[in-house]
Amino acid sequence: MIKLKGMAGSIVRCIIPEELPTADFKSEFDKAMKHSGSILNGARMALDFGARAISEATVTALLSEFVWPSGATAVAWITYDAASQELLKRAGLCTSEPAPREGSRGSALVLHRSLRSGQRAEHRGDVIVTGHVNDGAEIMASGNITVLGRLNGLVHAGYECGDEDSDAVVVSRCMEALQVRIGGKIGSLGRDAEWWGKHVIVSVRDGAVLIEYWPFVKGETESWGAP
Amino acid sequence: MAPRVIVVTSGKGGVGKTTATANIAAALAISGNKVVAVDGDVGLRNLDVIMGLENRIVYTLVDALEGNCRLNQTLIKDKRVDNLFMIPTAQSKTKDAVTSDQMVNVCAELRKDFDFVLIDSPAGIEAGFRNAAAGADEALVITTPEVSAVRDADRIIGLLESMEKSPIFLVVNRIRPQMVKRGDMLGVSDVLDILQIGLIGMIPDDENVVKSANEGKPLTFGDESRASVAFKNIAARITGENIPFMNLEAPQKGFFARIRDAFGGGR
Repeated sequence: MIKLKGMAGSIVRCIIPEELPTADFKSEFDKAMKHSGSILNGARMALDFGARAISEATVTALLSEFVWPSGATAVAWITYDAASQELLKRAGLCTSEPAPREGSRGSALVLHRSLRSGQRAEHRGDVIVTGHVNDGAEIMASGNITVLGRLNGLVHAGYECGDEDSDAVVVSRCMEALQVRIGGKIGSLGRDAEWWGKHVIVSVRDGAVLIEYWPFVKGETESWGAP
Repeated sequence: MAPRVIVVTSGKGGVGKTTATANIAAALAISGNKVVAVDGDVGLRNLDVIMGLENRIVYTLVDALEGNCRLNQTLIKDKRVDNLFMIPTAQSKTKDAVTSDQMVNVCAELRKDFDFVLIDSPAGIEAGFRNAAAGADEALVITTPEVSAVRDADRIIGLLESMEKSPIFLVVNRIRPQMVKRGDMLGVSDVLDILQIGLIGMIPDDENVVKSANEGKPLTFGDESRASVAFKNIAARITGENIPFMNLEAPQKGFFARIRDAFGGGR
């Protein structure tokens, strides 16, 4: 069942469950519109497809049969399927989480799932993943990134900082990533490193990428070399 | 029972998709189901060789799609097992010769006559894979316990999920228990921890698999090797039987040990 959820910045998040067959989209959207009354009229809407792949036909159908008739404006099209992200970007559509009208980083994106190889999440704000980030998956966040499972994939915290140092951090309960990016800095780690498989926090201090046990243990800090 | 269309896929090449398709199809047919194995790897067909039916090909799937014959003329009946059929594909065409819509129509047609349609998918994530998977409801993902194969399987599972295939089950092929024990190979639990889908089979590394592929005689036709038993168990689990997983670490018993067991000495 499609869910509508209010977010900060008068944004309505429209969550389309991954298990919902595409053939049922129309009837489910009709139901959502009926139950929502006039809430959607004039609202800024973020369409959240999870890891579902989206085709040109789906985008066209959603706009003409749901978004426009409801009076809302689709400000974000969220999918973790990288090919769909490319398709949406080529159509000039925003694929990252919508920022509130005012404020710096926006709300946190919480992913109650694992990200698989080839899946990608991009968010203006903090990102929390309750599952694993597998090898080949990517997360880009303007804020901090926390991975409660195992981190194998590529994460880039504070990605909007360009070459500047960022105060964003990456926290992982099981660090098995060969590389972590924070702002304009890249830290690399070998499989034989003391931190491999451990719970760590990674940050940038004085221009260097630092890795420490999390929670902090005094004196156990290592500076990463640039790759 | 409603007909079931299952795509057998992997992401990485050479992990045993075609061998698994042939053996599982044969085991399903032996247990009384009407089964067709479809070679979905246009341009690089192999299923006919593994099943030992290469000399009986007259028409291919691509011939049927181009209107040169009817779909039922492409079916090759395996004379060794009742209810087992194969549809070969073209070797001289490319992946572009088939579209997703055509595969959906082919699968819809085959559902009318078969209990199981198994589609052997090409490696990769491009059009060939997408076409092979288009008409399927379910998927079997084959991987070996190697980091690169597991990563590709993870990618394929993400794509299958986004294509709304369900259920998606995992087969871990070519397991070498001694290497796992030494820490030189990923264990099945490591693979499952990464891929997070249901396990439907574990196939030990077994030289009989290579031998049977070369002979064009699927192991499940009668061989009692451990790989054969593992494939038969997968077929039984697909049909809903609750079969415990084989203990791959237990040493395979020799001829004399089996005789001793038969007389009650091995309990």
